[in-house]
Amino acid sequence: MADEPTLDIDRHLRYWTMCLRSPLPHHYLSSDGNRMALAYFMINSVAILTPPGSGKPSPIPASDRRSLRRWVLSLQQPGGGFAGSPTLALPPGPDGVQAVDASVANLPATLFALQLLALLADDDDDDDDDNDGAAAAFDGVDRARTLRWLRRLQRPDGSFGEALKHLPGRGWFVGGGYDMRYCYIAAAVRWILRGDVQEGEPGWVDDFDTHALARYILSSQTYDGGFAGSSQEEPHAGYAYCAIGALALLDRPISGHPRPGGTLVASIRDRPGLIRWLASRQFVYLEPPEPQEDDDDDDDNDDEDNFRLPQRLSDLSLTENLRHVACNGRTNKVADTCYTWWVGGALANLGLGAELGGGVADGEAPGVLLDRAGARRFLLERMAHRIGGFSKHPGGPPDVYHACFGLAALAVLGEPGLSEFDSGLAVPARTVRVMERARAALVERDRARDRASEGDGTKRPAELAGEAVALGLAMAGKKPAWLSER
Amino acid sequence: MPPSKKGGGKGKASQASTPPPPPPLATTTTAAEDKVTSQGGATTGKPPSKESDDESDSAIGPVLPSSSTAAPTDPLPATAALPEPRTVLERTRARFAAARPYEARLIFGSRQPPPTLAEPEEPGPGLGGLKDLEPRERAAWLATRIAARIARRPALSATTTTGGAGAAELARVACGGGAKTVREAWKLVNEGSVPLRAAGEKQLLGAATAPTPASTGIARRRREGASSRGEPAPAGSLEARTIAAAEARWERRVRLACLLAESRCFRAQRERETRGVRDDRTGEPAVVTEREVVEDKRRRLEIAALRRDMAAHGSGPASRAAGKIASNPDWDDVVPVVLEEPAGALASIAYPADYAEAMSYLRAVMKANEHSERCLWLTEHIINMNASHYTVWLYRAAILFALEKPIAEEIEWLNEIALANLKNYQIWHHRHLLVENHFPSIAADPAAVAAFAASERRFLERILAEDTKNYHVWSYRSYLANKLGLFSDADELASVERMIDDDVRNNSAWSHRFFLVFSHPDRATPGAAATEPDPKAPPEMVDREVAYAQAKIRLAPQNQSPWSYLRGVLVKGGRKLGEAEGFAREFVTGLGKGEDEEDVTSTHALDLLADIYAEQGRKEEADLCLQRLGQKWDRIRLGYWEWRRRGLGTEAAAA
Repeated sequence: MADEPTLDIDRHLRYWTMCLRSPLPHHYLSSDGNRMALAYFMINSVAILTPPGSGKPSPIPASDRRSLRRWVLSLQQPGGGFAGSPTLALPPGPDGVQAVDASVANLPATLFALQLLALLADDDDDDDDDNDGAAAAFDGVDRARTLRWLRRLQRPDGSFGEALKHLPGRGWFVGGGYDMRYCYIAAAVRWILRGDVQEGEPGWVDDFDTHALARYILSSQTYDGGFAGSSQEEPHAGYAYCAIGALALLDRPISGHPRPGGTLVASIRDRPGLIRWLASRQFVYLEPPEPQEDDDDDDDNDDEDNFRLPQRLSDLSLTENLRHVACNGRTNKVADTCYTWWVGGALANLGLGAELGGGVADGEAPGVLLDRAGARRFLLERMAHRIGGFSKHPGGPPDVYHACFGLAALAVLGEPGLSEFDSGLAVPARTVRVMERARAALVERDRARDRASEGDGTKRPAELAGEAVALGLAMAGKKPAWLSER
Repeated sequence: MPPSKKGGGKGKASQASTPPPPPPLATTTTAAEDKVTSQGGATTGKPPSKESDDESDSAIGPVLPSSSTAAPTDPLPATAALPEPRTVLERTRARFAAARPYEARLIFGSRQPPPTLAEPEEPGPGLGGLKDLEPRERAAWLATRIAARIARRPALSATTTTGGAGAAELARVACGGGAKTVREAWKLVNEGSVPLRAAGEKQLLGAATAPTPASTGIARRRREGASSRGEPAPAGSLEARTIAAAEARWERRVRLACLLAESRCFRAQRERETRGVRDDRTGEPAVVTEREVVEDKRRRLEIAALRRDMAAHGSGPASRAAGKIASNPDWDDVVPVVLEEPAGALASIAYPADYAEAMSYLRAVMKANEHSERCLWLTEHIINMNASHYTVWLYRAAILFALEKPIAEEIEWLNEIALANLKNYQIWHHRHLLVENHFPSIAADPAAVAAFAASERRFLERILAEDTKNYHVWSYRSYLANKLGLFSDADELASVERMIDDDVRNNSAWSHRFFLVFSHPDRATPGAAATEPDPKAPPEMVDREVAYAQAKIRLAPQNQSPWSYLRGVLVKGGRKLGEAEGFAREFVTGLGKGEDEEDVTSTHALDLLADIYAEQGRKEEADLCLQRLGQKWDRIRLGYWEWRRRGLGTEAAAA
């Protein structure tokens, strides 16, 4: 169609350059605990906007990458995992050893840190395999410790929390509530770091209970087909993405393209219900009426402003009303940029990516579960801001979270000019290739280290456990409960 | 909707609901009150606005007469008749009346003039204040106004003009009159012996009543709550504060200022000592003696006590400054760990100074693994600035348990924090942890459990009234119902039913109802999935829920929530979808019979019919439903409906 909007890539790059070059305003203070996430939104967006061969110069010069990676690594914690923000990271003590508070290491921050390290890898020299920027991307990451720490974040029911804390008189506690996001992130960190080491081989680290995690996720489907933190709560598109994404990652081969709809994803109990629920998240976005002057009664109307119902149902068959297609996160909730991504990504992870793309009004062949053209118009005409970036609601200011997931939504819908996007790991597909090579190098190093210690008989798995006890003593003054239980 | 407009609307609304109380001295008619407002606007050029009560002391301070009013030819009545003012406001009004006699007459009306004024000849019937004044008085009043402007303007241009002639000329231009007007004005002022400076009118009009637009959720809610209940002026406000209290406060402020200055000198000296600075005259190195250290410690203890005291008696700069940790002697032994951002730091945030300070102390005490009262206070201080630090919440929990704090009190404290941070989820994780640790202490006592359930429900209803679909609140509510066993609790069911009655589209409430009904331990198979039949679900309960959903669908047929609920109930009850065929057909007429005859009032009915027909093997009819959905009634989901058609495996769909 003639009047389709275009994505102004340069404008979005200007927005991200601004975010990268100057401190974020104090409105972001509530995200201080997760600056690693903010950093991921920025660097990931830049990567989405600058696919190789596009001729777009990245606002992050190659010379800066090393110092940015150093910053990420500076938040790695001695007990495994990464801190979410330098305001929480504890300084080294007088002996030069970094002070430890187990709760500083945070599960989401750890995924964002690994994604950032891969996104910020040095470019490969095309023909020189010896000078491999991708393979060096995870240099400095303590793979074994992070995987062991990850294992401790799993609860007996299979779910994951985000942080560990020793509570006086109560022992170790897995903090962070019952939240599907942590389940997804645990599966992602596992996929990024584990590799294919078999039990008993050098480099082996005990895995968490993947069956328990899958059981927990599969039991969280709700009566209407969606996914929630548990089957007893309201389903939510973000959680649905996380549930499906986690199942897909537990099944995913360690390299190459994911198997479309792996066996775990196929074992979702009510698959037709899930697809109906996901397809129901899109709705026709109708313009709100002109705001009335002196409207004092607008305090709580935000909920309806973005979710207007037609006067008559047949109005929805009128083509002029079909221009903008928004997504909400829950039934009868308002339009929000990020849900186009969560819904689109969830459908792609279900193995229905081929059903994405195309749309009704642009005359493409039917067979799409998400109205690509309408969703695209909604994002570009209603959510994109004139300074670049995307907002949460129509007419709002942009923020880094929605600006990033607006781009991710367009990328997963196949927007030309953007990087090919991996819906499972939420980074460009080329970044996943970096992760694979970086992981292989890490695993190789761990193998070599274990072989060497086997050779001279200095380090055995039992000794590693002993180290963990010592660590627990340092942190809490007592042997950690999780070790005594075994 | 931009937030600024929203804030403005709130401010307006609360202002309208709380008119400033009439000044105690002007207890006359409504007309007189009207006059107060209009005259206030006319004389100051802006409506009375909120003033911090701390500023009132200085504003009412010395009323300086102009240099030309030294002559004691006072035509005004003596102030001997002045009754002793009791409160600061009364004193301010008396001073105003003394300083601006005519304006006081205009503002307070003539029927009951302030005690400093002579009885007027006639009570003014509200025809405009000036009429109440005698011509002589009127002229004097006008002259003071003109003279006041003249007195201000030349001063501004003093740098550009050299001689008095220039100033006079400018003054003449400034007041828009000729040189003669200026002379006349000064003459009248001299004759009337009227002072030129006086208290502002805002102090006069009950300063503490106008709301400030920018305020935190808790403070605003408390204030709105207080004013809407028509409570008397708070104890710290200008109306209620007695002169003795105001003077005592003033003394404390002076004392505080002195202490702060001394303490600053001490710190400067200590700084000089560390840097090895030598005295300019004597050449001696700066030294801080042990005694001075002890003295400063005592000094800062007194500062902290004074600040606590002043914070307890009204807000103001003193209580705002109370958050400063570095000058608080409780924290003397802690060396803050300041954050230094290295080059290459990503996503740095412009931290406010208070926040950066608090975080540097947090790092220090967390490093030392300290569990103490002051650390508990520090976590609260940080949470008030940023409630989403997972680590701070876990640290707070550790301190609570280490100090064996009563958990019920912590839950109470958490209520206000949650109300001020509706979208925060760490708060709910914390609440979850608290309840996990509180429940064992009440589990054996059914009355205590019921009381706890009731108090939690009161709070949940309060917070859901502000944000009816808040995800964290509903998740917690589901957890709580499980923990406390609220499945048969009539109040819990009624509470959720009320929310559906209020908004039949509230899907959170629908989800909670499904959970309460179908997860009841007596009527559910443990571990049964939400999407599979449960033989333990009693048929009469299933019938009741089917009827409930259908009644709500009739209220709003295009509302997906009860349709999803209806399907869920049928599946749980092990029923065929076909049971709802008759009901679903109510919303569909003349399907496939052409544009004129076909009407659909709910796409969800058509969707359900498609599944019902497919269930019964009536594929062609199912296909027609899906086709019409994609072609007409739900075009944006054409791709989805076509995908469903392919799943039917009919010839029509394959074609």
